[in-house]
Amino acid sequence: MKRLFLLVVILASSYAFIQSTNILHIAAGVAIFLFGMRNLEEGFRFFVGGLLDKFLKKITNNLYKSILFGAITTTLMQSSGLVAVIAISFISAGLISVAQGIGIILGGNIGTTTGAWLIAGLGLKINIATYALPMLVFGTLLIFQESKRLKGIGYALTGLGFSFLGIAYMKEGFDAFKETIDLTQYSADGFSGLILFTLVGAGMTIIMQSSHASLVLILTALSASQITYENAIALTIGANIGTTITAILGAFGAGYEGKKLAGAHFLINSLTGFLLIWFVPQFIHFIDLTAPFLGIAQHDYTLKLALYHTYFNLICVLLFAPLVHGLVALLNHLFKPAPTLESESDDVMFINESALDFPDTAQATLLKETKHLYNNVFDIIAQGLSVTKEDINSGMEIDDILKLRNVAMYVNMDEYYEKRIKEIYGKIINFAILAQGKFSNESNTQLIPIKNATIEIVEAFKASKHMQKNMLRYIDSENEDIRNEYNHIRRNLIKHLRNMQLIVNTSEEDIAVLLLSKLQLDAQKYDIAANKSLDNLIRTNKITYTMATSLMNDTTYAYTIASELTKVAHTLFIHTDTEFSEGREALILDETEVTDLTHPTEPRSNT
Amino acid sequence: MNGLKFIHKIQELFGILSVNEESSKKQTIKELLKKLKLRHIFLKKELKNETDIIKREAIHDSIKIIKKQIKKGKDILDD
Repeated sequence: MKRLFLLVVILASSYAFIQSTNILHIAAGVAIFLFGMRNLEEGFRFFVGGLLDKFLKKITNNLYKSILFGAITTTLMQSSGLVAVIAISFISAGLISVAQGIGIILGGNIGTTTGAWLIAGLGLKINIATYALPMLVFGTLLIFQESKRLKGIGYALTGLGFSFLGIAYMKEGFDAFKETIDLTQYSADGFSGLILFTLVGAGMTIIMQSSHASLVLILTALSASQITYENAIALTIGANIGTTITAILGAFGAGYEGKKLAGAHFLINSLTGFLLIWFVPQFIHFIDLTAPFLGIAQHDYTLKLALYHTYFNLICVLLFAPLVHGLVALLNHLFKPAPTLESESDDVMFINESALDFPDTAQATLLKETKHLYNNVFDIIAQGLSVTKEDINSGMEIDDILKLRNVAMYVNMDEYYEKRIKEIYGKIINFAILAQGKFSNESNTQLIPIKNATIEIVEAFKASKHMQKNMLRYIDSENEDIRNEYNHIRRNLIKHLRNMQLIVNTSEEDIAVLLLSKLQLDAQKYDIAANKSLDNLIRTNKITYTMATSLMNDTTYAYTIASELTKVAHTLFIHTDTEFSEGREALILDETEVTDLTHPTEPRSNT
Repeated sequence: MNGLKFIHKIQELFGILSVNEESSKKQTIKELLKKLKLRHIFLKKELKNETDIIKREAIHDSIKIIKKQIKKGKDILDD
């Protein structure tokens, strides 16, 4: 269907180009302008690198700072759609909240007005094509440099150069049109005209995915008197609504939080448009009154349109800034994630392509997805011990849990792996590898341990799977000694999993630092005690040699689960806040320090 | 105002002033040590009141770990 549409567009455009070289000029102008915009965005990405997300985290801690951030970045990038997409990726990665994201969107709407002023005030008044050519030359020269910053400046310069060239082509096309055909004969008056042109403005912005390109087209057509001022206003309203398509498309691959922001962008711009379309005549009058104060001549309709665009977006901010929290509540109601049953297949929740744009976003996304995988594996390891995760998370004494769950609970671990682990694991590894290839070594030092934690989580799962067979056999065995031994493994692992949950979920860092060292100590002590107990049971013939080998293997598996999960807890805790990671890590005892605390002569305490 | 000072001011304004990594690490350790010392006192009190042998052993282990962590932290700060 898409291809058919593309073919129809190509054929129709070709026919139009053969019929009129002016249409070709205008279309080429739009194409060159859009190409320029892409280069400008690329340049911005190169130039700021990982600074943007660091900067964002610092300054978007309240709504007004978020608005300021949105306004500045949109002014620099000249693309409100791209700013919205960046905000979606930050929200999906959990770097900012939806309310802060809405602040960025509102700021982006203000930032986009600068483009209209530049085009109306400069672009259409002077011959900007003369500036475009040297920009393209110097820009291309810089693109070939090795330095990322210079490359970024190069892309930005060529971007501006192409944009200027595009504007010049559009202007030329419309000026030439004026001599052969008068497009104003197709203008529509009254409210129906406003609606029609609003739809046209939205449609062309959806196709071009750039409100800037639409604005340039509207302004050049208006300066060449090919559309009426009133219709141009309607087209501008439409462009503001149509620009939300970029965020909507960007949110397709994002999580629910990202979808909320795209929804907010659409609601904010559409509702403002819907409201202001009723007051166009009053606004025209208001602009006529205020324009002279800004030195805008009575018949300078392009600047008047830029002023209208500014008023539109200012009203949008004034209307929605006080309503942000209500809007968030509405969006929370509209976008509810469907709860997935534990028996159902599970997929990634945070990983999306846009999260690969910035190193901090990638790291935060990777960490969240790893925690998601950890939760699934935690659930299955608990079931492998014939208990539930609710048992572990409850405040119940471990011995009471063991009394309650004294019958083996079968769970198909292979099926669980296929449904709830494999897909997420694969996507995390893939994402981590892509991120490692994209960012600097400094960022990789943060990404690699998280990737390794994912591998460790799956190793713990595998050990649990191997242990399950004998666990099912001996939990309710008639031989009391072997039953006690397996319950001992269960008791230690439940305690371990409980501590893990505390570390992953606590906000008190001293508890986490203490527990991380304690997990290591417990694992070592248990290993020593288990070996002593096993020797004793074999010597006194209390268990058969098959039971003994099973117990030996399963003790090793239990140790693997404990030690792998300890490493995971360590990574998840350390990398949650990179700012404090070094200081925290320094106080967690390493293996040798923990060994010093272990006394091999201690008897087993809880059998 | 020279260029460097201007950049410094802007960084200060937006709160992105880069702090020396070593001093930031020491600051984190200092704050953690304070919390660990409080936890140490709390655990000692808990040990006095606990009668269950297994729980006493677990608290005792935690105290041993905290003591070692406090010593380790102090050594790092003294360096």
